[in-house]
Amino acid sequence: MIDQRLFDLPGMKKNAAVIGIMIFIQALAIIIQGRYLSVAIVNLWNIQALSTILVPTVIFGIAFAARHLFTMGENRFLYPSVEKITGDMRKNLMAKIFRLGPAEVEKRGTGNVVTMALEGIDQVQTYLMLVIIKMMDMSITPWLILLYIAYLNIWQVLFLFIIYPVIILFMIILGLAAQAKADRQYEGYTRLSNHFVDTLRGLPTLKQLGLSKQYANNVYEVSESYRKETMSTLVIALTSTFALDFFTTLSIAVVAVLLGFDLMYGKVPLLPALTILVLAPDYFLPIRNFANDYHATLNGKNALTAVLDVLKEPEVKDRKVLKDFTWDQNSDLKFDNLDFTHRGSKKKSLTGVSFDVSGFKKIGIIGESGSGKTTLINLIAGFLSPDDPNKVSINGQVLPHLDQQSWQKNFLYIPQAPYIFHDTLANNISFYVQKATKEEVQTAANRAGLTDFIATLPDGLDTMIGEGAREVSGGQAQRIALARAFLDTSRKVLIFDEPTAHLDIETEVALKKDILPVFNNHLVFFATHRLHWINEMDYVLVMDHGRLVEQGTPEELSKENGVYTALRQKMEEADL
Amino acid sequence: MKELRETFAHDTWVMPYLKKYKKLLVLVLFLGFITFLCGGALMFNSGYLISMAARMPNSFEYIYVPVVLARAFGIGRPVFRYAERLTSHNWVLRIVSDFRKKLYQSVERKATAIQRSHQTGDILSILADDIEHIENLYLTTVFPMVVGWLLYLFIVIGIASLNWLVGLLMLLLLGVIVILLPLVSVATNGVREFQEHQIQHQFYTNLTDQVLGLGDWMISGRYNDFQAIQDKPINEIAALRKKDHYFQWWRNLAVQIMILVSVVVLLIWTGKDFTTTKMKANWIAAFALALFPATDPFLNISQGASEWPIYRRSIQRINQFDNNDSNAKDDSNQAVDKFENLAFKDVTFQYKDGDQNILSKLNFQVKAGEKIALLGPSGTGKSTLLKLMIGDENPTSGSVEVNGISVKDLQANRSKIFGVLDQKPYLFDTTVMNNMRLGNPKASDQQVKDAIKAVGLADLIESLPKKYDTEVQEAGGRFSGGERQRLSLARILLQDAPVIVLDEPTVSLDPITEKDLLNQVFDLLKDKTIIWVTHHLAGINHVNQVYFMEHGNFDMAGTPQHLYHTEPRFKQLYDLDRGK
Repeated sequence: MIDQRLFDLPGMKKNAAVIGIMIFIQALAIIIQGRYLSVAIVNLWNIQALSTILVPTVIFGIAFAARHLFTMGENRFLYPSVEKITGDMRKNLMAKIFRLGPAEVEKRGTGNVVTMALEGIDQVQTYLMLVIIKMMDMSITPWLILLYIAYLNIWQVLFLFIIYPVIILFMIILGLAAQAKADRQYEGYTRLSNHFVDTLRGLPTLKQLGLSKQYANNVYEVSESYRKETMSTLVIALTSTFALDFFTTLSIAVVAVLLGFDLMYGKVPLLPALTILVLAPDYFLPIRNFANDYHATLNGKNALTAVLDVLKEPEVKDRKVLKDFTWDQNSDLKFDNLDFTHRGSKKKSLTGVSFDVSGFKKIGIIGESGSGKTTLINLIAGFLSPDDPNKVSINGQVLPHLDQQSWQKNFLYIPQAPYIFHDTLANNISFYVQKATKEEVQTAANRAGLTDFIATLPDGLDTMIGEGAREVSGGQAQRIALARAFLDTSRKVLIFDEPTAHLDIETEVALKKDILPVFNNHLVFFATHRLHWINEMDYVLVMDHGRLVEQGTPEELSKENGVYTALRQKMEEADL
Repeated sequence: MKELRETFAHDTWVMPYLKKYKKLLVLVLFLGFITFLCGGALMFNSGYLISMAARMPNSFEYIYVPVVLARAFGIGRPVFRYAERLTSHNWVLRIVSDFRKKLYQSVERKATAIQRSHQTGDILSILADDIEHIENLYLTTVFPMVVGWLLYLFIVIGIASLNWLVGLLMLLLLGVIVILLPLVSVATNGVREFQEHQIQHQFYTNLTDQVLGLGDWMISGRYNDFQAIQDKPINEIAALRKKDHYFQWWRNLAVQIMILVSVVVLLIWTGKDFTTTKMKANWIAAFALALFPATDPFLNISQGASEWPIYRRSIQRINQFDNNDSNAKDDSNQAVDKFENLAFKDVTFQYKDGDQNILSKLNFQVKAGEKIALLGPSGTGKSTLLKLMIGDENPTSGSVEVNGISVKDLQANRSKIFGVLDQKPYLFDTTVMNNMRLGNPKASDQQVKDAIKAVGLADLIESLPKKYDTEVQEAGGRFSGGERQRLSLARILLQDAPVIVLDEPTVSLDPITEKDLLNQVFDLLKDKTIIWVTHHLAGINHVNQVYFMEHGNFDMAGTPQHLYHTEPRFKQLYDLDRGK
């Protein structure tokens, strides 16, 4: 019930202590309020004049107001620090994501990461606000009331004292069982709601198959059978609430009846009896509140776990080993018998990869799907780290991996679908070179073949593009990435990962004309399965089943009767 | 109030269902009312019970009735509450079933068989969420509010029947809690909620943008800019939320103070009116104690009300989605016995919201058994042509005919003529067998197995522990892209339509997989008529005719061999595709 992680958060122990003191005072106010309400009632019961209740009523009023002022005080005291904790948590989370990079996002899904940073953190905030106050309330208020009642009449206390652990016991036994069911239920619910979205998304297929109309009944039936199932589990799941409710309400009734008998036989006077009756609901209130907020706290708890999970992810160390440098004619990159295994996998994705490239060359990387092309590219770009350190080196300096800040300053990475930010076209092009002048951006755009596209835009380079604004086709996205490369003259290494795989052949031909000039004076890595690009390469790495099976110039490779030749033959088979 | 009326003026989502399940609804509200009534009555009765007992009556009979009642109310409250919760959940779930079906039907009317965009998926999730919001509207806002009002009326009328002046006072004091404060909450929160939503939406967009472009952010090393983008919306939201919380806390305090004043009023009233005899004075404790539990349901009314703006947005969105249902099609159910030909006759097409012709005066004909390929850069109207062909859209002028009958009149039997294999054929989250049967619900197990064998997946499926009863998982995630295409191909074999539309089925596959799949497709479908939209020339030797589209018309057409020898452009593209 108590979440130990809460107290590891900065300042939480101190906060809990202050809240504890406030709740203690609040509990005293509850007792005073009950006491003086009872005094007022008893005075009237004794047919005393209305004026006799003035003082007790005023005390009751003040205590009552104080009690609720304290509720507000607790919240207001806690809120700023909870706000700060969750605010910092969000910042740390985003900073962590920034350091972990795209691989982490891919693993968790973009939607999940965004949701975690927004709703997830909000839920943590709600959780922290609820859980600390409720927990303190539950562990202080009932016992103080109990002590006071004990002071009034021992015999009644025994009953209340016994019933409390019984309630908790029932909550645990019934609650755990029922709650497990309710949680499963909740999962089932999520599954159903996913199923529904699944059906909606598959609608084009249903249309194609001519089934879409009659499928409406299926949607209804699935939902209805789920309802029946839910109701049968709810009958059990709700019993925990029922049990809690039953015991607390019945206890009050029983206390009233027992007090009634005691009063009738003159064993107790009315005032203490009435006080006990007035205080009885407040005695049970904290535990009821706690149970009511169970689901709200559950969501927050899960969100906290998810956030802490990300924050605990191991980070790549030694990112500053490589000295600052600029790739030039004489620079050299070497892979020496490198292995790579994806996390959680037993099989090596790459085995014994060695190559050595230097200066400004164009390196083609080819192979069938699953041969390890993309993994190799990711290792070169430093998005992944090799199994063992010291297998890569730049300019003779041996490195643990290529996730080096000074290496990152030297390359541009252009994937199959370059991401276009929701921003102006000009800002998209100058993403890597913030200081670029408008003329420089314009020139880069022209060189990347964007001139015609810009002419169609209402505000030219200042037109908003990207998701939610003007959509950009795959070919145009590649050209924008290309313009970035033309603009950023300081980065001399270009890493392409299948840049034309999604494009139609005519767009590809047009694009190729504009890409080729950027290759000059650059070290280029170009992974592709469109073989015509290979004719433009100086050197080719051929991947097959995670191994670098052949390497050499295209001419050398075409003479060998190896994988390269076989691959080409497969492509050329049919002749018109 | 005006907003309320506007929201429900053209509503087809909330009100009709309130009427449909009227009886259950009344039961839910009744049970809710009784629950809290029992809670109040328990304290009322207990107060009276001990006051009476304290007079030390000489016979047990004096307190017999209250003793029995105490137990009855003590048990009654949890029991009724339990019943209320079950009934209300049952009621809401019933409505959800209806909602789902209704939403499905409205989406179905608009859906087209040919589509490329993935964004629609997100809109659908939002709509599915909206349905859940409407569920919550009932459970957390409508039910508690109505129950609270019923109780309010009960208390006020009950007291007014004893003393109309005190009744009036209660009407005012408690009215502040159940009417005034909720209205104030909606008004203040409505504005804030709107602002918060705007900022939140912007923040969400920014953050998604950043996360999607994370690779570029990382390589650029612009860490400070990355953080700075988030600071502004975060601070703005925090400020709004702080105001919101403070408002809530003050409001809750105000509610409690009103309750306090009410209790004091009752004390004074009972102190004046009930102290004439000892017997009467026994009722004082009853009145004073009953008010606390009876006002329990009042506490959450304001909070429920302040969530109204969220619900309103959901109701409006979902109604709007339903209403702009323009192209509801009038299905005609003419049929074609044996497919002979398909013809585009002078087809011109323009989207309703577009300003230029996508297709202009297009003419071509496909005879039974012919295979044609359609090429062209994106945006030249290839998908539009397919939509017109199968009847998802109708030509602005001209006509599309199958055997001389307009496809418009064949819509009800469309799946008997056209089979479609697209870029991302959908596999539903159920078993392989069920997915295959969607092609032909009457297919026998053996027919399904034969189809899977034909596409070369029999070994793979047989090797799985549950074989044909294997779950394909969400969107077919259990299988690779190539395998998913083959499973869909098997489904099309089962469907056995004479004309097969291939809409770039190989775009996300590597060249070798692509080649294998194309060989298989053209081999298995050799007797069918095929219309194939493709983005490059791999496998082009399979077809009889190639059409190149440019600006809504064909600028190059002929057999692949002919084009290769006479059109330099075609030759260049073809050679490039083969790696030359």
